[in-house]
Amino acid sequence: MSRTNWFSVQTELSSQAKTVLGVFSFILPILVWSIVSYVPVVWHPLVQITDPGSVSYLQVDMRMPRGPFEDAVAEAQAEGQAPPEGFPANPVYLPAPHEVAEALYTAFVTPPPSKDMPWLHQSLWHSIQVIFWGFFLSSAIGVPLGVLCGAYAPISRLTEPFVEFFRYLPAPAFGALAVAILGIYDGPKIAIIFIGTFFQQVLIIANTTRKLDGALAEAALTLGAGNLQLLTRVVVPGVLPDLYRDLRILLGWAWTYLIVAELIGTTSGITWFITQQARYQHFENVYAAIIIIGIIGLGTDLVLGMLARRFFPWDRNGK
Amino acid sequence: MNPEKALPSYLDQSDAVRERFERLKERPKILEVKGLDKVFETPKGETVALKDIHFDTHRREFLCVVGPSGCGKSTLIRILAGLDAQTGGEVLLEGKPVRGPGKDRGMVFQGYTLFPWLSVKRNVMFGLTVNGMGFQEAERQALQWLALIGLEKFADAYPHQLSGGMKQRVAIARALANQPRILLMDEPFGALDAQTRARMQAHLLEIWRKIDITIVFITHDLDEAIYLADRVLVLKAHPGEVQELIEVPVPHPRKMEQFISDEFLATKARLEELIYAHEEKEEGESEEEYDYPDMPRLVEVDDSVD
Amino acid sequence: MALGLAMSAIMLAAPARAEAPLKIGYSDWPGWVAWQVAIDKGWLKEAGVAADFQWFDYVASMDAFAAGKLDAVSVTNGDALVMGGSGTKSIMILVNDYSNGNDMIIAKPGIKSLAELKGKKIGVEMGFVDHLLLLNGLEKADMTESDVELVNVATNNTPQVLASGDVDAVGAWQPSSGQAMKLVPGARPIYTSADEPGLIYDTLTVTPTSLANRRDEYVKLIKVWDKVVKYINDPETQPDALKIMSARVGLTPAQYKPLLNGTKLLTLEESSKFLEKGDGFSSLYGSSQISDDFNVKYKVYADPQDVDSYIDPSLEADALK
Ligand SMILES: Nc1ncnc2c1ncn2[C@@H]1O[C@H](COP(=O)(O)OP(=O)(O)O)[C@@H](O)[C@H]1O
Ligand SMILES: [Mg+2]
Repeated sequence: MSRTNWFSVQTELSSQAKTVLGVFSFILPILVWSIVSYVPVVWHPLVQITDPGSVSYLQVDMRMPRGPFEDAVAEAQAEGQAPPEGFPANPVYLPAPHEVAEALYTAFVTPPPSKDMPWLHQSLWHSIQVIFWGFFLSSAIGVPLGVLCGAYAPISRLTEPFVEFFRYLPAPAFGALAVAILGIYDGPKIAIIFIGTFFQQVLIIANTTRKLDGALAEAALTLGAGNLQLLTRVVVPGVLPDLYRDLRILLGWAWTYLIVAELIGTTSGITWFITQQARYQHFENVYAAIIIIGIIGLGTDLVLGMLARRFFPWDRNGK
Repeated sequence: MNPEKALPSYLDQSDAVRERFERLKERPKILEVKGLDKVFETPKGETVALKDIHFDTHRREFLCVVGPSGCGKSTLIRILAGLDAQTGGEVLLEGKPVRGPGKDRGMVFQGYTLFPWLSVKRNVMFGLTVNGMGFQEAERQALQWLALIGLEKFADAYPHQLSGGMKQRVAIARALANQPRILLMDEPFGALDAQTRARMQAHLLEIWRKIDITIVFITHDLDEAIYLADRVLVLKAHPGEVQELIEVPVPHPRKMEQFISDEFLATKARLEELIYAHEEKEEGESEEEYDYPDMPRLVEVDDSVD
Repeated sequence: MALGLAMSAIMLAAPARAEAPLKIGYSDWPGWVAWQVAIDKGWLKEAGVAADFQWFDYVASMDAFAAGKLDAVSVTNGDALVMGGSGTKSIMILVNDYSNGNDMIIAKPGIKSLAELKGKKIGVEMGFVDHLLLLNGLEKADMTESDVELVNVATNNTPQVLASGDVDAVGAWQPSSGQAMKLVPGARPIYTSADEPGLIYDTLTVTPTSLANRRDEYVKLIKVWDKVVKYINDPETQPDALKIMSARVGLTPAQYKPLLNGTKLLTLEESSKFLEKGDGFSSLYGSSQISDDFNVKYKVYADPQDVDSYIDPSLEADALK
């Protein structure tokens, strides 16, 4: 019985198995990406021109579909002229892993072209601040409100129907209004992150609070706890680990609003980098930036997860 | 068991036992339950959970409540605790009507209700601090209670690190720390294995002997009820009514060996009569309501288990 | 939520006041990226102009201007009217350039003229300048909008849309137009702003209030513009200018050079000629009138605008003195 069966439902894995599988969850997609990028017979629907030959409309490094390229070659040969040459390539939207890795490196070591433009890490720091403030303000109001909704039915009925409605409204649509109220700098961007997070947050926190075991509250009542004590000494500490887990997930959502948020008002942060690079089709830089965001997000979550074990030693659901 | 030997009546009491009951009844009444009714309004109509319940409990009495499942035992104890409100009648604790939960009535639930985020010590301190006691005094008293239940070594452990029996001991200490007038227990050992349960019963009797506490203890285990109780309140179901309040003739101090004594067996026979007679009747009724469908044999068998 | 907005408001700058630097929005168009030369060279300070140029997405810059958060914004004459049509009155005080080929209708390989687009699909951002360019071209080819099928596409996305093969042509300005040609080999412009110079003028457009309060500073700013154009046009200094401009948008100077060719940057002397009243595309007045007609006809806004009130040629005139 020493063999573990990985496919029995809800079986705990050894920590070694967890690590190995975790690493593979990254290796597998990278492997697929590498195969698509480096094995010419896989996909590669285009031809990148190395020599236009006699074809007037072709230029070096241009990419074109294989069919028309072969037609052009045949046509040139039929006319006895130099045929164009090229090699199989993928669309610019899918740069190869090494190109992205290179871009990742250069993005950080290349100084900004002019002195009042930010370094990449400064842009990133700017974005992180926007996320932080949006998320912080949302949580500062959303968490207490959510807990109150979860604890007291009248507050829930007074709040949740509207919140439930509002959360469907697309946050970015408030961009112009946010600019009109908050100016062109970080205010409207923070507001968009706020709007995108807050309404979901209230509902999720309220639900989490409602899931608290009612028997704990009854036990506290029989021990003489008053209403306020019930809230501060039972409900809040009781839901705290789950609430923390909710916040970790919500923080991830906040990041997904960053790109639309930063396009509102002056273009700033990592979004400036991404949109500018995308407009000029430098997708290796775009992917580099996306990967940086992923790393920051994953890194933050790992750190928060580790802190959770510190904060909530009694929580057995915690990872 | 020896079926040939005729058992004495459960009503026969030895002199010592009778004197003990006389002394008990001279003690002041802690709890008076008068004409208690409880009707639940459900979408399917009204459920009468309790009907006209009367009984008294004296100081330092150990009262067990037994009855078939669904007869309203939990409902009764929740009303005593103040967690539910009755629809009729009243509950007096030392002459004062009960309204809502309070620290004068401690409660131990069947499920584990320790606060998972608090250490064992802090769990025991909870009632003391919410009632305004200073941290240091509360801690000192909590440690004394932990010593009483033999868990001082686990003072800083979290509940999830304890076994089920330990958790219920802490729950008892937590309830007792408030020094309630009465301790309400709703099948507190129901989820424990037989061995642990036996140890817990002995333990509870030991605690009860040492401190001034009145206990109302719910169980569906008749041995447990006879072993622990001075008197056993027998309820019947649909609606929940008092059938009989039995004075247990088994002498004190109680020991495990008494499980096979005549008094014990006689009492148990009476309880079974009261409870199962009803249950059978009810089952008889229900058999008319639902016919067991013919159970198909899903697996081929070539011999019978009977 | 109100609290959240209020708190973020506190953390941020208050709207521009008279003493604050002029807040000017600019975006990714060669005629406006040119301002970067003045910014990086420190010419604004030299000239005593306190101006704070803010980089925007084009549409976001119009939103910010409409919200009253900017003193000036870089827009085409047509879009200045569009903002006015929805209640944001503005005044054009400087013509930076006219599009000289950078705005294009690009057809996929095989299609060589607008006439061949009859019945075909064309991707264009409706209500924006290249929609106007397309209609202008169709008219010359004796067609109207109903002879083709228009697909509304954000200008930034036109390269991908053309490459997808779902449309037969797109209308876009640089850099999107160039990217579209790079992405679809053999695709070529079949009609450009060079075929109708003056259809699209790019301008510096200001709020009436800031014009009234800070006219002198704008005049100084316009003088700086003249210096910028001369610096870019001078073959001696052009490499340096290209370096600055390409850096702003994240390109190399070599990559940026072709974009300059499709934009006719105007010195003050040249520019002021387009500020003389006249009909037709050779005057900002005439061009704007045509835009106005277009906008009303296509219900971009309901009522014709008083085009004259959108143009103040006097600042350029003063700057030239
Ligand atoms: N909250 C409730 N709502 C409706 N009916 C209830 C509720 N609680 C208990 N009952 C009903 O009251 C009766 C007594 O229940 P309970 O006190 O839990 O019985 P016991 O603890 O003796 O098994 C049962 O018929 C049960 O269905
Ligand atoms: Mg029960």
